[in-house]
Amino acid sequence: MSSIVNRGRYSVSGSLGGVVKKYTMLFVLLGLCAFFAVISNSFLTAENFLNLATQNTYILVAAVGLSFIMMGGAMDLSVGYQISATGVLTAILMVKLQANPVLAMASGMGLCILLGALNGVLSVKLKVHPIMITIATMIVFQGVSYLLSSGNSFYPFPDSFRLITRGNVLGIRVDFIIAIVSVAIASFVYNKTYYGRYVKAMGGNVEASRLAGINVDFMRVTTFMISGFFVAIATFILISRQGTMNSTIGPGTEFVCMTGAMLGGIGMGTSGNGKVWGLVTGIFIIAIIANGMQLAGWNQYIQYVIKGAVLILAIGFDQAQKTRKAKPTKAVA
Amino acid sequence: MTRKTLSLNRITKIFPGVVALDDVSMSFQEGEVHALLGENGAGKSTLIKIVSGALEPDSGTIEFGDGNAYSRLTPHLAKSLGVETIYQEFNLIGCLSAAENIFLGERFGRFVDLKAMERKAQAIFQELGIEIDPKADVDTLPSSKQQFVEIAKAVSRNARILIMDEPTAPLSVAEVDRLFELIGRLKGKGITIVYISHRMEELFAITDRVSVMRDGKYIATRDTRSASRAELINLMVGRELKEQFPVRSVRPGEVALELRALCGNGDVDVSLSVRKGEILGMAGLVGSGRTELARLVYGADRADSGVILVKGIERRVDSPARAIEYGIGLIPEDRKQQGCVLGISIRENISLSSLRRLSRLLVIDGKREKALAAKFYERLRIRSPSIERPVESLSGGNQQKVVIAKTLASNSEVLVFDEPTRGIDVGAKQEIYALMNELASQGHAILMISSEMEELIGMSDRIVVMNEGRLSGELARNEFDQRVIMELASASQTTGAANVVNSQSGQV
Repeated sequence: MSSIVNRGRYSVSGSLGGVVKKYTMLFVLLGLCAFFAVISNSFLTAENFLNLATQNTYILVAAVGLSFIMMGGAMDLSVGYQISATGVLTAILMVKLQANPVLAMASGMGLCILLGALNGVLSVKLKVHPIMITIATMIVFQGVSYLLSSGNSFYPFPDSFRLITRGNVLGIRVDFIIAIVSVAIASFVYNKTYYGRYVKAMGGNVEASRLAGINVDFMRVTTFMISGFFVAIATFILISRQGTMNSTIGPGTEFVCMTGAMLGGIGMGTSGNGKVWGLVTGIFIIAIIANGMQLAGWNQYIQYVIKGAVLILAIGFDQAQKTRKAKPTKAVA
Repeated sequence: MTRKTLSLNRITKIFPGVVALDDVSMSFQEGEVHALLGENGAGKSTLIKIVSGALEPDSGTIEFGDGNAYSRLTPHLAKSLGVETIYQEFNLIGCLSAAENIFLGERFGRFVDLKAMERKAQAIFQELGIEIDPKADVDTLPSSKQQFVEIAKAVSRNARILIMDEPTAPLSVAEVDRLFELIGRLKGKGITIVYISHRMEELFAITDRVSVMRDGKYIATRDTRSASRAELINLMVGRELKEQFPVRSVRPGEVALELRALCGNGDVDVSLSVRKGEILGMAGLVGSGRTELARLVYGADRADSGVILVKGIERRVDSPARAIEYGIGLIPEDRKQQGCVLGISIRENISLSSLRRLSRLLVIDGKREKALAAKFYERLRIRSPSIERPVESLSGGNQQKVVIAKTLASNSEVLVFDEPTRGIDVGAKQEIYALMNELASQGHAILMISSEMEELIGMSDRIVVMNEGRLSGELARNEFDQRVIMELASASQTTGAANVVNSQSGQV
């Protein structure tokens, strides 16, 4: 909170101004917290924050997956129906066929990685932008999900499966741990491995990356598969928490993840500058807006309008940063 | 002819941390071709942006021929005062016809009267002696003709001052001649042409006066006729440049790269060899298949047939990754689109092609990466406050050095330079030349594609010429002659040229 006050006072000094710019979204997050704390008494409570965190573990995990695709300069609109299809398959195996949950999850994950691979291979082979491909596959995956479920809901899940969101290790809930580990893995991959560096380079400039000796087609397909891996885990968390699964569960998640990623500076064409903490900040900005408005008693329809507006602001902000960066270099040269 | 059309009076423009223009005064006369000369960062671009209204000066005035002085312009105001700018990237809409582009924003009747528009465009083309079909879609025209459409557009708006930023960069030799003819005609109409180019020989070919800028300051104006090249370069860099091309004692070693009857990508039967320690120049017009050949050699595109030998061993180069593995490096033509990833740091760019070597399993050894990047950062004297700065913050010359550093870091021994000094300033050019010489004397084999005659003749040990996808000739150092090269590059491929090709491949 004190940082927000400081911003105005010190923004003249170069380095601090840079820090403020770099961490704008963190300030936005804190600002939102302050705002909702003022208008709602129940916002700034331990219970609410615990609630916020538990509701968003699956989104965070799915967003980590999607970040690999977006960091590499592509996009996947089919994530929501990947969740739907994966969830239905896993649920059917557990509920109708009484399969071992581990086996069910392995099958679900296999399916989800396969769907990701399909997206990747199609965009590479057809040389079409993944947005177009995933609009099409989104519909296909929807069909797959409904073919599997025939429109039915599946419950109850075995208790062992529900440990994902009910069990805890050393007093910390399992899905928390999964989310934290996912974020940590992504952060490690981006910062410490050549695979992560390749993804960032590819997001910055595909052609230059290819000419630098990177097999960009292979990279593209694998980012989609990695995304599938995380999306499958997100699905397990989601359906474990819900306790039931049908084909309508999942769609919409992709937009929350996308918005969060963009707010966090991971967008198409951000030239490889995205950071995982930015993604986490972005996801929580969206979560807090929804949560705060709900507590303040604003109706759901207004929430849609505001969420959309936030996305526009995020994209506009991203663009403004880019043009501001571009101008002086051009002018001096 | 002595009427002033434009005077800049004591213009100053300060960007945070940089004085881009420092008290610059200059004047331009009616019907003259006036060159602005200076290294990158000298302030030329800022100056033309102020004249065209894209930037506002902090102080000073811009005075036009009618005596009105302005302390700032807007793009709209500048246009209404007759200032038109032709940038390196054209402002044309590809899917519209030449005529529609010329008259974009103007009205022809209640509904668009295409016939009238095309007639009017035709009239302008005729007046300028340009042969373009007004109905042709712009993206079907070669870049030289697109440029003519830009010029016609400016003329149709009654341009009095035409600013041309590196107009010959996308043109072939023959096209440059046509552009110069056109500039002559524009001059005859009393239009003032502000001409920006890094190519010295062009200035002597068409400009009347040259104004030199350095570090944001106006240095001097000379009549081109009485100026010497050395004098201009000295004014521009503020120091003696003794020898433009460093002398290298040539002792070429064994053959490092050999191509046998390479076909593909539009190229036919290209056979050549480059030895260790040798710089093989490759001349040719734009579109003659040189870049395409470079891409074949580097595996960026696949060859249909033919053989590539690296150090005597036949290699299947089917991807850039393979090329790097076999020790072939490419410094591509377009450094911003193909050479570097602008948004990531200098360090990350330099190590990009070497990361696997620097990693255990998937994990990058940070220390080794830093050491490798720092080594080439220093060796190439890349100028930046820090190796962690993004490459987009660097000047063109330094960006080019980053691309070269990346290639060298990956242990490439055969280096293909595609237009190594395009668009970079004189000082940085010198450094690139010195570096290429150093690399050659260390035993690297260099294939240098270039459209700059001086560079080719100054740097190469041998020159091969490409023409319509085939080699049309080879010259040894004592045979270097601008005219011969030009002829080989532009003669249409008939029987005569085919003979040369045959004797060439027979030799190899």
